[in-house]
Amino acid sequence: MNGLAVDVSGLVKTFQVKQKAPGLRGSWRAVWQPAVKEVTAVADISFTLEEGEILAFIGPNGAGKSTTIKMLTGILYPSGGQASVLGYTPWQDRRTLGFHIGSVFGQKPQLWYHLPAEDTFRLFARIYELDMAAFRQRRDFLVEAFDIGHLLQIPVRKLSLGQRMKCEITASLLHRPRIIFLDEPTIGLDVVAKQQIRDAITYLNEEENTTIFLTSHDAGDIEKLSRRVIIINHGRLIYDGRTSALKRQYLTRKRIDVRFAERLNGDELILPGVTILKRGTYGLKLEFDSRAVPVEQVVQQIMAVKPTQDINIADPPLEEIIRDIYQA
Amino acid sequence: MLNQLRITIIKYGAISLTNLQNQLAYVWDVAGRSAMIIFFMFIFTQLWTAVYESQETAVIAGLTLSNTIWYFIIAEVMELGKPRHDIRISEEVKDGSIAYTMGRPYNYLVYHLANGVGEAAVRMGLVFLLGLPVVIYYAGLPTVAARHLPAVFLVVVLAMLLDFFVFSIIGLLAFVTEDIFSFRLIYQKLVFILGGLMIPLDFLPDWLHRIARILPFSLTTYAPAKLFVAFDAAQFRQIVSSQVVWLLIIGAILYRQYRWAVRRLTVNGG
Repeated sequence: MNGLAVDVSGLVKTFQVKQKAPGLRGSWRAVWQPAVKEVTAVADISFTLEEGEILAFIGPNGAGKSTTIKMLTGILYPSGGQASVLGYTPWQDRRTLGFHIGSVFGQKPQLWYHLPAEDTFRLFARIYELDMAAFRQRRDFLVEAFDIGHLLQIPVRKLSLGQRMKCEITASLLHRPRIIFLDEPTIGLDVVAKQQIRDAITYLNEEENTTIFLTSHDAGDIEKLSRRVIIINHGRLIYDGRTSALKRQYLTRKRIDVRFAERLNGDELILPGVTILKRGTYGLKLEFDSRAVPVEQVVQQIMAVKPTQDINIADPPLEEIIRDIYQA
Repeated sequence: MLNQLRITIIKYGAISLTNLQNQLAYVWDVAGRSAMIIFFMFIFTQLWTAVYESQETAVIAGLTLSNTIWYFIIAEVMELGKPRHDIRISEEVKDGSIAYTMGRPYNYLVYHLANGVGEAAVRMGLVFLLGLPVVIYYAGLPTVAARHLPAVFLVVVLAMLLDFFVFSIIGLLAFVTEDIFSFRLIYQKLVFILGGLMIPLDFLPDWLHRIARILPFSLTTYAPAKLFVAFDAAQFRQIVSSQVVWLLIIGAILYRQYRWAVRRLTVNGG
């Protein structure tokens, strides 16, 4: 049975943010009467995460995702509440915890910019006090998994974003962390690089039981990697449940792509509650609310119009669902 | 315990070596920025030659013209070669990369010290080597005795450590203020005047000289330069004692400030 990797209770983080009215007058006033506003980045969130779980921790920009990660990795002190990561209090046991966790911040580099990635890997082997034989074995495995063998001698500044990200993630995995915090690891990457990174994350989770704490704005990351989703907005937890349940709960809209064997005339399908998104010579793209119109009824209507060659029923992309939740 | 000490030395040594490699990766850029020492030394040489000629004397306050020129190259090496980890800390806070540098299993300040050693090794070496031809041309070889060099080296190490402590205090202010340029500028100007970078303290009026000798600024620049050009055993003992006392005082301030700053860290971008 797995233990708890993360246990968060009533975590709060507030910041003092300087305020300034626009214009020269505002600047002048800010010099003599600086106004400070207290902003709550994380407001009383509680959750647990079991070892070996993959959690997608998502929310719009400014929701408090990165602040939460920084508290869980010990960088920021909370303003209130408790957190335990692998049994350690992050902000009190930061150095010890550092041996057991890894982190990747997609928009921030950790590799030495003017040096090849291999030099940073060797440095990390020393920082994490790795046995050098074990380090070489681990490095070789990761280099093969990410297909970066040909990049190791090239200064990091010369690498593309995708190449650099693969090296960044490799660097964070060298010490076999028990939990890894991934803050938008696939941002700006092409589909091939994204898939390689997702495959590696899946492997680490399945084969090494690594706990994954993932934030991403990429619905593909969330759908393909995590079975559980936590959504936060304005620092508050607004959803904690299975990814599939999220889709069921908020996914009452369905989309149907249908291709007919015969040319369409133009007025074959008129159903209340069904919107035609796109009409082609032989095909239709429809959207409807399955609470108002059952799926079977729509499919029956379609089949009655003309003989069909192909029919595909799909959920809208997860990012649309998340957007709907945010807006709600 | 010995094994843990060995691992710790290897860890921080690797950080120094990596930054050394990093500096060497763009050594021509560093050399270009260090090349200003050639102009500095040329101007200093012309200026102080004129001063000695106008005074019609070979010795001022116990220093010959050759001593004075060598004094300035050592003082400039100490100033221009020092690592700028306070700026690095400020940048880490601004760009958010502190999320990496603080999250690793090492002491954050010792990490910056080790990092600074690698940087200083290249920068100090380059400043000295680039300024050396001008100094030798105008001042000849230094008069320092080889047996005094270990003592001078000790003072240099303590001076760098003291500088590191002060700049760490300035750097940690970035945890709250983000930008530390003004604090850095104030300290630099104090070193410039009271640290003996602009003029050897021996040339100052007696009352100012005495005040400057008590303050820590002179211990980072004047002390190593003066001992290099005119070693005196009594002055060496007084300097080392002062350095140790100031290290304890500033170290205690730094310790308290670190504990205060980590609780107030604000990182841009969440």
